[in-house]
Amino acid sequence: MRRMIQVLVLLALALVAHTDGWGQGANPNALTLLSREGRRALPIVVINNQDYIAVDELAGPFGTTAREAAGGLTLTGRGRTLILTADQNLVSAAGRLVSLPAPVVRRDGRWYVPLDFLPRALGPAFDLRLDLRRAARLLVMGDLRVPRIVTRVDSGSSNASVTLEITPVTPATVSAEPGRLVVQFDADALDLLIPTLPQQAFISSIVPGDGNTVVIATGPRFASYRSSSSQPDASSSRLTVELLPSTTDLAAAAPPPPLPVDIRPSVPPTPSTGLRTVVIDPGHGGDELGAQGPRGTLEKEITLAVSRRLRTLIESRLGLRVFLTREDDRTVAHDDRSAFANNHQADVFLSIHANAAVRPLIKGAEVYYLSVERADAEARKRADDAATTLPALGGGTRTIDLILWETAQARFLEQSSQLAGFIEDGLRARVGMSPRAVQQAPFRVLVGANMPAALVEIGYLSNPEQEQQLTSAAYQERIAESLLDALVKFRTVLDRTAP
Amino acid sequence: MRRVLVGVAALAAAALFGWLLMTGLGRLLRAPAAPTADPVAEVPAVAPPTGPTAEGPKIKASLFLASEDGQRLVGVQQDVPLAEGTVAQARALMEALLAITAPAPYSSTIPAGTTLRGVYVSDRNEVFVDLDATVRTKHPGGSMQELLTVYSVVNTLLVNLPTMTEVQILIDGQESDSLAGHVDLRRPLRKNDGLIVTPEQKTQSPS
Repeated sequence: MRRMIQVLVLLALALVAHTDGWGQGANPNALTLLSREGRRALPIVVINNQDYIAVDELAGPFGTTAREAAGGLTLTGRGRTLILTADQNLVSAAGRLVSLPAPVVRRDGRWYVPLDFLPRALGPAFDLRLDLRRAARLLVMGDLRVPRIVTRVDSGSSNASVTLEITPVTPATVSAEPGRLVVQFDADALDLLIPTLPQQAFISSIVPGDGNTVVIATGPRFASYRSSSSQPDASSSRLTVELLPSTTDLAAAAPPPPLPVDIRPSVPPTPSTGLRTVVIDPGHGGDELGAQGPRGTLEKEITLAVSRRLRTLIESRLGLRVFLTREDDRTVAHDDRSAFANNHQADVFLSIHANAAVRPLIKGAEVYYLSVERADAEARKRADDAATTLPALGGGTRTIDLILWETAQARFLEQSSQLAGFIEDGLRARVGMSPRAVQQAPFRVLVGANMPAALVEIGYLSNPEQEQQLTSAAYQERIAESLLDALVKFRTVLDRTAP
Repeated sequence: MRRVLVGVAALAAAALFGWLLMTGLGRLLRAPAAPTADPVAEVPAVAPPTGPTAEGPKIKASLFLASEDGQRLVGVQQDVPLAEGTVAQARALMEALLAITAPAPYSSTIPAGTTLRGVYVSDRNEVFVDLDATVRTKHPGGSMQELLTVYSVVNTLLVNLPTMTEVQILIDGQESDSLAGHVDLRRPLRKNDGLIVTPEQKTQSPS
């Protein structure tokens, strides 16, 4: 009988393990180990949607020897020992217990560890500095200088610019070679993120070069370039490479080119304590088209174009960090938009939209900030009244200050209303307002923003004249300038209230 | 051995009980017709309120339409059949709002073809209006137009049913994120007086 029960239990376990699915897919990617000795590729194996590495692959680069005993694996090297147990998240590394995000796996006679094993367990046990750069699939060993570089491309009708955000601060030089520009960094290797290029004729590709270079292959319209660098904060530097057409090409271009972006800060770059990060939310996107003009102009395209211009202006004039909730034409959920701003610890959240009405005569810009409904007000009161008490590990309780996601914006209504006022001033001076300039509304995207926030309707696409304006570069630039003015004013408010 | 057998029997009994509990709960959870947590009353399907042309007592109701400038709401007076109880009256008001031919210079804010799927009232004096998906798919977009659509429904119900405090719009029986990407429809909304403009209110005779 006992034996039968044992068999049953084993069968049940096998069933569970089976339905759990040891889905293992071949992953063409490998983890690149960067060290003084050079590069080395370690194959990555995907098990249960997690990236793993086979323990026997570590013998070469780290000189480890493995010995299997009593359901465990003992890994030794450099006089230290690590003990791994199959299906366990905990490993013992030189006598210390280390927790891993996924269990150690033994299958077909091989042992696999999640990638985090390397920096969390192996590195400390072997007194090695191992830095895992997951996005770039890099494992940096020792004190190599491997700056993280996030690249962005902005294109206009008469130029294109490549902005490289470099963390930590790393000197770089730009040199022109036939058919390409080479950006060389004072580094051992690069942790490089390159986006998909927008449609333009200045850049044909951006690719990693040898070791510490980025190669910008130039396109047919490219004639010359200029580069500038700045340092938005202590931890990162920014290099902007602007690609320009030849002057004859410029003269031939039908629309007058917008003024070149002024790289020098026009406002004295006094460090602001209250306004450091701005998140701009280009309304709609992807399947969500938003409003549509009589000539077919889509709101989602206008909002992205204006948001990009605004970002360039804020970065170049104020030197602030600016993030867009979407960089291209994609669907983004409302909650993800405000969560993006919260996660980036934005000091201001601006959602950019274009309006529509049944009456084609209506035109002008409008600014909205959140109106709080009864349910929100009640929830907020509950949250404010009673700090939440949670049981703490090891007995007892602790009190936490709970900010309800649904009521985050309620705390900032006064500042948001001030911000809306500044935006109105800015827009009124440059593009004109609709008769209903500033309003409060229960707008979904503002609810969860944990910072001063406003939704700006930059004009009515349903008005034929305004539809034409909204597609023009000059008008979009005026809107961006208006919003920049508002941010400059709002910065002084934030600086006054900042601790 | 006997102990083991008793243990196995107990386990089997517990498993059976758990299974019954789960399936029973599943049935219970599927039971309510109303999509909200609050207790609600539904309009009896057998007695739909009659249209504005039908005989019977009427009330003078304000139905909210887009103003001449297209940026506000105007209350247009119209006779709506008097109905028994709040739920039936709310349904009569909504049907009148959906069916109205807007007198010039006003215009309806609700996309043509939108139908009313149901009306519910909670014991917290909230009205739930269930519209079909046409209200979203045929909506022209733009936050101003979305505000007008939402608040023509909210204001029409709350102005004419003064005991009611809030209105929540459902789409195809579901709580919805928003109508055209702006207004938060996950919560009941209060009356919006700021959007209402009060010109010389035109009286429209039943057509």
